[in-house]
Amino acid sequence: MNEGDAIEIAGLVAGRSPDGLMTEVIDNLPVAVFCKNASDNFRFVIWNKLQEQITGVPRSEALGKTDYDLFPLDAANQFRSIDQHVLETQRVMDIPEEQVDAHEHGKIWVHTVKTPFQDPGGDRFLLGISEDISERKHLNQRLTDTHAQLVETQLQLIQAEKMESVGRLAAGVAHEVKNPLALLLMGVEYLDSGIDPEDENLPVILEEMREAINRADKIIRGLVDFSSQRQLSLDNLDLRSVIGNALMLVRHEMTRNSIEVETDIPDDLPGVMIDQAKFEQVLVNLMINATHAMKDAKRPKLLIRGTQAVAEVSPDEGSRTAVHIRGGDPIVYMDLIDNGCGIEDEKLAKVFDPFFTTKPTGVGTGLGLSVVRKIIELHKGRIEICNQSEGGVRVRIWLRTAPKTDAH
Amino acid sequence: MAKRRILVVDDEVGFTRLLKMNLEKTGAYEVMVENRSSKAVTAAKLFHPEAILLDIVMPEIDGGDVAARMQEDPRLKDIPIIMLTALVDSNELSPGAVAQSGALCVLAKPINLELLLQVLENNLGTKEEVVSED
Repeated sequence: MNEGDAIEIAGLVAGRSPDGLMTEVIDNLPVAVFCKNASDNFRFVIWNKLQEQITGVPRSEALGKTDYDLFPLDAANQFRSIDQHVLETQRVMDIPEEQVDAHEHGKIWVHTVKTPFQDPGGDRFLLGISEDISERKHLNQRLTDTHAQLVETQLQLIQAEKMESVGRLAAGVAHEVKNPLALLLMGVEYLDSGIDPEDENLPVILEEMREAINRADKIIRGLVDFSSQRQLSLDNLDLRSVIGNALMLVRHEMTRNSIEVETDIPDDLPGVMIDQAKFEQVLVNLMINATHAMKDAKRPKLLIRGTQAVAEVSPDEGSRTAVHIRGGDPIVYMDLIDNGCGIEDEKLAKVFDPFFTTKPTGVGTGLGLSVVRKIIELHKGRIEICNQSEGGVRVRIWLRTAPKTDAH
Repeated sequence: MAKRRILVVDDEVGFTRLLKMNLEKTGAYEVMVENRSSKAVTAAKLFHPEAILLDIVMPEIDGGDVAARMQEDPRLKDIPIIMLTALVDSNELSPGAVAQSGALCVLAKPINLELLLQVLENNLGTKEEVVSED
């Protein structure tokens, strides 16, 4: 230090009382500072600006008060017990994380160092220095969450990749399975045209065999349709037959889980313009989800219902694009209602997100519902999933009815 | 009435044997089977079929190539070809590719015999007539 500096500092001190300067120094420290007089029931004697900011308590209200006047009982008890420990041990204590109820600021996380000291008069004090680490803690938490999410997504990606391999495999397997099926069918056809008229069982057996071949063929076809991505090929179709096909693909799964299936589709339900393969994929995905959800149900039951109606879409929603469903459009909506475990409310909003799944690894890919929604959107329809008050989930799909033609 | 001559080209020996039996049992067809696609053109030249049932996925030469070779031969190019396939369905093949191959239509395996007989009956006339109906 040169002579000029020394004079300047001397002047500063000279211009103010040393106590006043010290107060300002403490007040302007970039950390929160407080001091309690342990000899006077731990009343606050110092409370700087940053401490005001962190706690939301102005100095005027804090000085002369105790933790019990300023904070909730639990927090005050905790502060007091630490203070007493520091005084007993006479050692500086570092508290890496503690939560403080900062009134209007809500709960914040602080890092605090508490130091005991004694003044010349013999009073014992406790000096505390705190910094607000809420932001850091929040970022840390987000980092941890993101990491966990990343790990989960990675697992799901691996699973999705596996499913894609299954899809690729399916096409090859289909070819190999269809050739023996073709042979069997030719054999059945041959026998069918020359059977012993005396034996009434033979036609039944042959019909059963033909049915079995067709069923095997449909399943293998379904498996490949499932994994192939094609443009929409729309036909005016009867929902009943599409539902019937989809049910056939999941029949095994339904039977195995003793699920009762009830369909309620009126005879006069108008046709809808849909891509049969894609729509079957939608239904199969939803039915499999329902099956998984009803795993622990006492009497698992899936109700599939079709209803003709007029769209009640709000004008805003309907006018977004000219081709989507608009209020007043003739529509058909289909409900799939299960009596399973339902979906937790906070998860309901995320069910359509790719890779979101509530199922354990190996059970779901997290792609099913995102594919479902994509297909429904391609059909210019709408899909909604909600919990029912009596338990279980209702999936509702709206589709515009096919335009009437002379043929219908 | 003379029997219509059908050439079946498919590498699945068991399937072709039973297909031949079924077609011949109707009394309307005489069937020749060729299980090696590389010999399909020679077989067609020898047998003079009125229609060819041609598998698509075969070792050696696939059905598309066999059809193309027939198209190049003036003696064979007018014989109607019906493709048979164990590929999942006819959507696997673009309509352009089918038309280009000269095939009339594609039937998916397992073949429905009734449908096959119907297609044969309809298509043993002239090729153009059938294409325009489609």
